[in-house]
Amino acid sequence: MAKVLYIDFERCIGCRACMLGCEECSGHDHLSRMFVDELNPGETVATSPTPCMHCVQPACAESCPVQAIQVTEDGAVLSASHEKCIACKNCTYACPFGIPRVDEQRKIMYKCDLCYDRTSKGRPPMCVSVCPTDTIQFLDEAEAKAKLDKQVQFKWDFGGTVIETRTVIGIPDLQTHRYGYNEVTEDVL
Amino acid sequence: MPHPQNADYSQRTYAAIEREGEVLIPTHCCFCGMQCGMNIRVDKDSNQVLGVEPRYDFPMNGGRLCPKGVAAYRQAIHPERLLRPLIRKNGQLVESAWDEAMDLIVSKIRDIQGKYGKDAFGIYSGSSMTNEKCYLVGKFARIGLGTKHIDYNGRYCMSSAAAGFNQTLGIDRGGTNPWSDIKFADVLLIAGSNTAECHPLSMPYVWGARDNGAKLIVVDPRQTKTALVADIHLNLKPGTDLALVNGLIHVLIKEDMINHEFVKNHTSGFEDLKAMAEKYPPEVAARITGLPKERIVEAARIFGQAKNGMVLFARGVEQHAKGSDSVSNYTNLCLITGKIGRKGSGVATFTGQGNGQGGREHGQKADQLPGYRKITDPEARKYIAGVWGVDESEIPGPGISAFELLKALGKEVKGLLLICSNPMVSAPSLGDVKQYLTSLEFFVCMDFFLSESAELADVVLPSTVWIEDNGTTTNVEGRVIRINGIDKTPGEARRDWEVLCELADRLGRGQFFRYNSPQEIFDELRVASRGGIADYFGITYEKIEKMDGVFWPCPSVEHEGTPRLFEDRKFNFPDGKARLLAFEHKGPNEDVDQEYPLLLTTGRVVYHYLSGNQTRRIDSLRDKCPDPYVEIHPETAKRYGIENGHYVKISSRRGYIVVPAKITKITRPDMVFVPYHWGKTLAINNLTNPALDPKSKIPEFKVCAVKIEPTKQQEVRHG
Repeated sequence: MAKVLYIDFERCIGCRACMLGCEECSGHDHLSRMFVDELNPGETVATSPTPCMHCVQPACAESCPVQAIQVTEDGAVLSASHEKCIACKNCTYACPFGIPRVDEQRKIMYKCDLCYDRTSKGRPPMCVSVCPTDTIQFLDEAEAKAKLDKQVQFKWDFGGTVIETRTVIGIPDLQTHRYGYNEVTEDVL
Repeated sequence: MPHPQNADYSQRTYAAIEREGEVLIPTHCCFCGMQCGMNIRVDKDSNQVLGVEPRYDFPMNGGRLCPKGVAAYRQAIHPERLLRPLIRKNGQLVESAWDEAMDLIVSKIRDIQGKYGKDAFGIYSGSSMTNEKCYLVGKFARIGLGTKHIDYNGRYCMSSAAAGFNQTLGIDRGGTNPWSDIKFADVLLIAGSNTAECHPLSMPYVWGARDNGAKLIVVDPRQTKTALVADIHLNLKPGTDLALVNGLIHVLIKEDMINHEFVKNHTSGFEDLKAMAEKYPPEVAARITGLPKERIVEAARIFGQAKNGMVLFARGVEQHAKGSDSVSNYTNLCLITGKIGRKGSGVATFTGQGNGQGGREHGQKADQLPGYRKITDPEARKYIAGVWGVDESEIPGPGISAFELLKALGKEVKGLLLICSNPMVSAPSLGDVKQYLTSLEFFVCMDFFLSESAELADVVLPSTVWIEDNGTTTNVEGRVIRINGIDKTPGEARRDWEVLCELADRLGRGQFFRYNSPQEIFDELRVASRGGIADYFGITYEKIEKMDGVFWPCPSVEHEGTPRLFEDRKFNFPDGKARLLAFEHKGPNEDVDQEYPLLLTTGRVVYHYLSGNQTRRIDSLRDKCPDPYVEIHPETAKRYGIENGHYVKISSRRGYIVVPAKITKITRPDMVFVPYHWGKTLAINNLTNPALDPKSKIPEFKVCAVKIEPTKQQEVRHG
């Protein structure tokens, strides 16, 4: 059973250890492939990590004119092959989640490769390894999608186009406000 | 197989990744009191530090690290490391030879002590050092220099927790429980602690409790990342903790949520506490704290009705002129409901400094000898004199606390050795502190970066970072752990303990400082602590390795340590009973008035550690939070015409700083918040109040009166 990223963003403390950890992974050239967003600055300190969503049909790979982006058998969408990538940025435009970036100096795309050097050896990715709050977990795909204590999302509707992702998001409990995340009613400052 | 004491931790079973040509050194983070386990990647041939690798099998953190932990190794290879001694010549610090520096230091010590007496040379130390170094510094002061003037920066950190625990429980181990117990609480009351940012690796334990259905009550003026996930957030007015807790106790008593059996058999003083709480019905507590009274009642009910519960707090409770009493009052909540001495029930403070716990146990406090012995106790003096091989009369009497020591500089104290501390950022009322330091006849500093304080020294000795030495530290739980290091120091930098031993030798006291390794110092520490409150006698390096840390007290070699205190319900007083002490709310030392109408409180951000001397230099951390800022509530900002990102001048009676505004609803309208990790013109401690708690001598960092105004002035960045 393939393992996937599960993000429980109620637990995110915005510390960005995932980003620093990502920089420490071999082959990542000290460039972080992870992003952390402030959800509603000025209103709350809530934050959320945004890793690659490892789409079932990845738009980045499909849009790549030179087939530089490989998808492994267990579904990890890899960073562009150094030999093939022409830094055309098609992948950055195609990705609905805004994940692939281009290293302008080296003219090469880089993105989360699920720490393939680590996960291929049975270890969790660096972001999962270091995350101090278990916001980012590495779970069996079925387990992540059937989280009993939380509503999860792995299908996303972009104007009628539905994209299924292997990365699974745990949705904050807005009904009971159990974790203090309240629906925002006022304008952002 | 993990040792049974570690069964409930957040351990993970993966093996660390090993790469060809590298060795992994299993050690611990150098920053906060969590002391997370980590592996340092080191090049086999050159002994060069290369990076970090998760240490999944260490029970406390299971490989998890906060951003400071991930980046910590970078200071070992940092270009700003001090590589040679610096001596001030013609007003400038210039690189010099070790011999010249040591000769100068020794001659100045002799000169000053000859002219003014032994006590005229003092030591101001730190708690981010190993137990071995902390012990050695205390011994060096007393019998190397023969001075009573030694104290340390733990006075700014956890001294109120120590004083509070001592007066209530008779023992100060920071936490009464192993951290894994947090997962078994039915209610967690976290007060004055932004746990998520200041001790991120506690969060898996908080989440563990939450996953089991525990309720979370957070007491903090700001809606921090910790408060964001609370069931009840008590965003009280800064400096009103005593009134809040009195209000909670009032409700607990009125609605009979008291454990009468426990109170009767294991505590004393309940009637006095009851009489005090009588004066604080919820409406009174609500008026003082600025909270709705219903929320106080609800919090009391949640806490009182839970079977198991823990009270956890930190500097937000402690750094007040009434900090020690606030600690005792929060501890009262556990005592009157019988929530102590078992899994999921107890009280703890979050250790701020790396070795804040061990650093205050082995004799670098002005009033203490190793093992938490009182320096005024004749029996203790006699015992330690025996361990050290000196006459009891050679051990000086008690000195004065850290801030009092700073105030004595240039007067009673003419020369100072500063080790592992940066009071030019961390002390209150910094304008005065600079005057004190510059009025010294001689000022020597040991550090591995040129801190704001070191810049003022006459001599700076280059020391080593944690990964370049061996030793032990004591974490937030009271668990003594091993710090392993590489056998290499950069340039001519030398290890602090070796420098102290050489200084002692040059001062003619070398016979008391013959050590070949930190382990030899630790073995002496074990004996020195034997029979004391903090008894380390049964803890050996081998046992620490075998058990992944040993909890003190551990009185014999056969003993396996004491993860949980008070399981026998015996408190550390002659009658075995904990003391329920009653406290009146009197408010902070300085209140608002027409000229200074707002309250200022200070705290940490997750990317920086203490004075920022280390973390501000590490690019990946500095980039995430390069400069301080002031959090202002939108209503307040509107009143003063301040917009997001605009520069604001904040002034108190002692000084001012100019920082950009961060307008946010997470703070209260009657207060502002500024993080404290920066120096010089960006140091918020230019403003803070040096009023001291009479029991712990901690300054009132957490509340003072200020005014704010928009300004076009911009201070220099990266102070």
